[in-house]
Formats: sequence, C-alpha cells, structure tokens
Amino acid sequence: MDRYSFSLTTFAPNGKLLQIEHALAAVGNGSTSVGIKAANGVVIATEKKTGSSLIDISSLEHMAMICDSIGMVYSGMGPDFRVLVSSARKMAQAYWKTYMEDPPVRILVKELASIMQEFTQSGGVRPFGVSLLLAGVDERGPNLYQVDPSGSYFPWKAAAIGKNMVNSKTFLEKRYNSDMELEDAVHTSILTLKEGIEGQMTEDSIDIGIISTAPAAQEAGAKPVFKRLTAAEIKDYLSNIA
Amino acid sequence: MDFMMHSEQQNQLEPTQAPVERHSHNQWNPYVDNGGTSLIIAGKDFVLVASDARQSVGYNINTRYDPKAYELSNKTVLATSVCSADAKRLCEVLEQRAQLYYHKHERQISTQALAQQLSNTLYSRRMFPYYVFPLLGGIDAEGKGAAYSYDAIGNMERVTYKAFGSASALVQPFLDNQIGMKNQRGAEGERMLTREEALRLAIDSFTGAAERDIYTGDWLDIFIIDAAGVHKETRELKHD
Amino acid sequence: MSIMQFNGSAIVAMVGKDCVAIAADKRLGQRALTVSTDFQKVFPITERTYIGLAGLATDVKTLHDRFRMRVNLYKHREERTIEPKTFAHLVSHMLYERRFGPYFVEPVIAGLDKNNRPFVCNMDLIGCINYTDDFVVAGTADNNLFGMCESLWEPDLGPEELFETISQSLLNAVDRDAMSGWGAVVHIITPDGIIERELKGRMD
Repeated sequence: MDRYSFSLTTFAPNGKLLQIEHALAAVGNGSTSVGIKAANGVVIATEKKTGSSLIDISSLEHMAMICDSIGMVYSGMGPDFRVLVSSARKMAQAYWKTYMEDPPVRILVKELASIMQEFTQSGGVRPFGVSLLLAGVDERGPNLYQVDPSGSYFPWKAAAIGKNMVNSKTFLEKRYNSDMELEDAVHTSILTLKEGIEGQMTEDSIDIGIISTAPAAQEAGAKPVFKRLTAAEIKDYLSNIA
Repeated sequence: MDFMMHSEQQNQLEPTQAPVERHSHNQWNPYVDNGGTSLIIAGKDFVLVASDARQSVGYNINTRYDPKAYELSNKTVLATSVCSADAKRLCEVLEQRAQLYYHKHERQISTQALAQQLSNTLYSRRMFPYYVFPLLGGIDAEGKGAAYSYDAIGNMERVTYKAFGSASALVQPFLDNQIGMKNQRGAEGERMLTREEALRLAIDSFTGAAERDIYTGDWLDIFIIDAAGVHKETRELKHD
Repeated sequence: MSIMQFNGSAIVAMVGKDCVAIAADKRLGQRALTVSTDFQKVFPITERTYIGLAGLATDVKTLHDRFRMRVNLYKHREERTIEPKTFAHLVSHMLYERRFGPYFVEPVIAGLDKNNRPFVCNMDLIGCINYTDDFVVAGTADNNLFGMCESLWEPDLGPEELFETISQSLLNAVDRDAMSGWGAVVHIITPDGIIERELKGRMD
C-alpha cells in the first residue's frame, strides 16, 4: 500500500484518485451487463452469476424498476447497487410529488451521478463499487445511460459494462444498427451475453428488462412501463436462438 | 339546533377554517337564513317578479317548494328573501292592511300606496325588524311597470331591476350589464325590456345562480303582471 | 374580515376555442382604503402560461418571485419549457409545503400546452387543484364573477369573442365589489401569441 491509497480525497501525483480506479476494478470483476437502445424502446440485460450451484438462482434480482418509465441494471457489487436503487426510487418519487410526472431519464441520471460523485469527494466514505445502465422512455424517446463510480455518465446507443465489457462492446459495434426494433434488440442483447457466459445459458441465469415507447396495453393514454421479463418469456427468446 | 346558527358564522369562514357547525351557547338567535333568491324587472307596461322555491338551513334543504313570491292582489306581487317565517308574517300583515284600506276607502289600494305601506310596516319594527328583503312589483297609476326594492327596515327605492337573496351577488352584476347596460360602449342608460327579453334574462339569471349557489334551485316561480292581471308560471331549476 | 380580503382582488380565466384568457383587476387596497390602482396580479410564467394570484398582496409578490426561480431552475435543468399542467402541480406542491402556515393566495393558471390545447385551473390557498373546461374565478368578487361567467360564457369562443366575454364579466363583477376594480388587464393566449389589453373601468 502506498500513501496515496488510503484517503480517497487525496490525488496521486499522476493526477489520479486511486480509490476510483479500484472501484472500476470492482466493476470489472462483476458480471457483464449490456443495454441496447432500439428504435421503439430499450433493453437491458445481465448475467446472474453465482458462486454455488446450491443458490436458488431464480429468485436473484439483478435489475430494478426505478419508476414506471425507468429501469436500472448494474455490474459490480450487489449491496452497493441496492443503496443506489433506493436513492433513485426516492428521487423519482420526489420528482413525481412535485410535478406529478415521471422524471425524464436524463434528470434522474444526473441526480444519481451527483450522488455517486459525492462519494468520491466526501470524508469517511468510499466510492460505489458499481457501474449502472439505466433504460427509460421520456418525452424525447428511448434513452440508455451508463453511470460510473466517479459520477461520470454517458448516453449510449448500445453499451456493455462488467467483466466481458471489451468483447461485448466489439460484438455490439458489429451488430448494432439504429433501425433495430425492440424484439431484435432483445435477441442481440442475449447473443452478446452468450458470447462471454461461463457454462450453459438458461432462463434462470440471465435477467432481461425492456421498456417500449409504444406500450403493450392497448388502452388510450397508456404510458410506457419498464418490465422485467419472466423466466417463461426469456425461455421463449432462448428457444428462438438456435 | 340548526335554528341557532348565525348566518354569518356559516358564510364568513376564515381561510384555514373548516365549515363545521358552531353553536352559540349563551345566546338565542331569533333569526334564520333560509337562503333563496328573488328578482324583479320592470318593463314599460309590465313587471316581472321571480323567486326560486328552495328553502334551506345550513346544508339542509327543508323543502324544495316553498314559494317566497306572493300574489297580494290582481296587480301586485311581493317577492321576499332570507327568513321564510318573517316573510310569511310580513305578507299576512300587508294583506290585512290592504284589506283595511279597501274597507276604509271602498277601492283597491294602488301600487304606490301599497309600496309606501310596506315601507311603513317594515319601519314600524325598526328595533326588531322582519329579517326580509322585499321586492314589490305592480302596475302604477299611469299603467307603467313599477318595481320597488327595500331593505329590512323599510328603506324604499323604485328601481327598474333588482336581485336580492343568497345569489344576489351572482345575479345583480349580470342585470347591471344586460338591463342597466353598464360597461357597454355607446349605450345610453337603462333599457326597457320586452316581456320575452325579461323572461329570458330571468331564466338565464336563475339557471346561472342555481349552478353555483347551493341555496338557490329546485323550482322557479315567475310572475308577469300587466294591466290584464297576474300571469304565473313555474319552471324547473337544478335539484342538486 | 379574513386576511384574504385585506387587499382586494378579482381574477378570472376562461377557455376558448384553441385559446385561453386570463384577466385581473388592478386595485391594491388596505381594507376600504385604495392604495394603488396599478398593481400587477397576473404574471407570465412562460410564453404561453400565465398565473393570476388573488389574495394577500405581499404573498402575491413573494410567490411570484419563488415561482420565477423554480421555473428558471426547471428550464436550465431540464432544457425545456414547463407545461401549464406541470406548472400547476409545482404551484400546488409549493403551497402544500406551507400546509399549516399558508400563503394567503388563490392562484388561477391559464395556458396552452405543447399541443395548443387550452389549460385552465385554479386552487385554494393550500394547493388543492380544480381543473375545468370552462372558467375559473378568484378573489373578493368571486361570486359576482361566477354569476357573470355562468351567464355570459359559452363553449368554443374565438380570441376576440373570448376577450369581449371575459372583459364584460370582469368589469361588471368588480363594479359590484368595493374591494376590487379600478381598471383591469386582459391576456388572451393564442397559438400565434399573446394579446394583452388594458381596460379602463369605473374609478369608484
């Protein structure tokens, strides 16, 4: 341990904050998550990795709904993710309470990023060991954002974070096109995960969340709603992939 | 104990006050506000008198048909408002005095004389007034429509139009505008309405009043008085 | 007399065909004493959303300042203009924050949304919103205004007809209210822009 590793708020002479680098390393150890923005919606997907075959994998939740119009997935440390989910949900509710509207995705991302930034500058805390992918629909259409432990955030057309990030990104670069429909995007996200998955991919070993700009409910005035796919729905997708 | 509620306590709530009933413990209050609205419009050779028929106390409706415009003779109608009991008593007294006049003078009392009699009757109770704001309509000696308005203690004024009662604030500005021609550029003073116009304005006034004033509604009695006598019709207003 | 009646005011907003109107008197008084005859009670919030504040004048000014701050912050954070309905909820939220020590105002909001649909609402002093598709009133001449609007207003009035209707409603209402009047200002909000006109009224 050198003397720049202890305190988060101390710059190393090379201009880096080492704790943030370490946090990114934690993200890099985490299971891979991908997101794709389609023409009519967004999909986020992640691999559910377990240390033991004895764990009831079907009840693990790696993905969370923040409000009707926004969902979130992570790579990195699960407990840190849940803290951020709780803050994000609270911010969404506060926004609703003020304006009686769901927050635009960008607004929620900014607020979330500012919390994560605060944990890189405050005393007695450590940065969050997660990167986030947020999928949502608002006035401007479908949105996909990544937020990092440093508090940086990026809008993406397609993104990957976690262990297999580099390969997944290369894969997505080849597969992505901007006319892609949501159904295609779900397939592509599964294929991307499949590239790097260890062992067999089953409906229980991945989590998929989608949000469509044209809501499935046919009633007039129906709003886009983020939805985690059920195991049965994922199974259907998997069976279509030869 | 609704009878003891003072009308001002119901109507003038502080902004942060809920409209709960408050009882005065130490003082009995002889007056009740039964709500309701009356209106009068004088034309060239006729006069229109209209009153709604709802009678209420607080949030309760006592009856949906309690007429508060009374046909005193074949050429006069008295419309009242606020306290129903006082209105009925006042009407009886006025009828008695008109009858006495008839026996004494061997002719029917003129509209102007009855108007003055009403003022005197009200003022005679200066220290314990009838809680009534009357409107008197009839045909005067020249055959013109005559409308008189009074306060509770006999202050009398001959008018061309007037609204009294719980919805007077809603109706009076409308009459100012449509009959008094107020705020109408180029218009010269009050206008004399035809019967059809007067009838339409009266109906419009009460439809609007019944929409927003909870004390006005149910039924509308309209009297049109001319040389031939009194013509009465009853129309329906909102019942909610 | 309630503090809501201390300064006196009369505000009305109406829905027309693809347009809305909002009008207010200009009197500022201290009970029966008239202090000013040029007091602003209607404020632009965006290019097509206006708010009228009836009630205690000091709160009218304070709230206008606070609304302006919140709307500017919204504009910068969200890089978009606030919609009339969203603004109404913001106002309601800010009033309810002071549930037990309220601002003594009754707001009236009128505007066109991004699809040029008319929006009109009013609320009480703690932010309970009332949406309508005809007209809303506020102030010391509220009953007078209700009577006028109820008989003069009709659906689908064009901008000029709406101007005439709201002006007649306001002028005749304030002439029977001692606490409001002394001139008025009318705003007609149309997709093509705002028509603002000052009305001369009785000065008694």
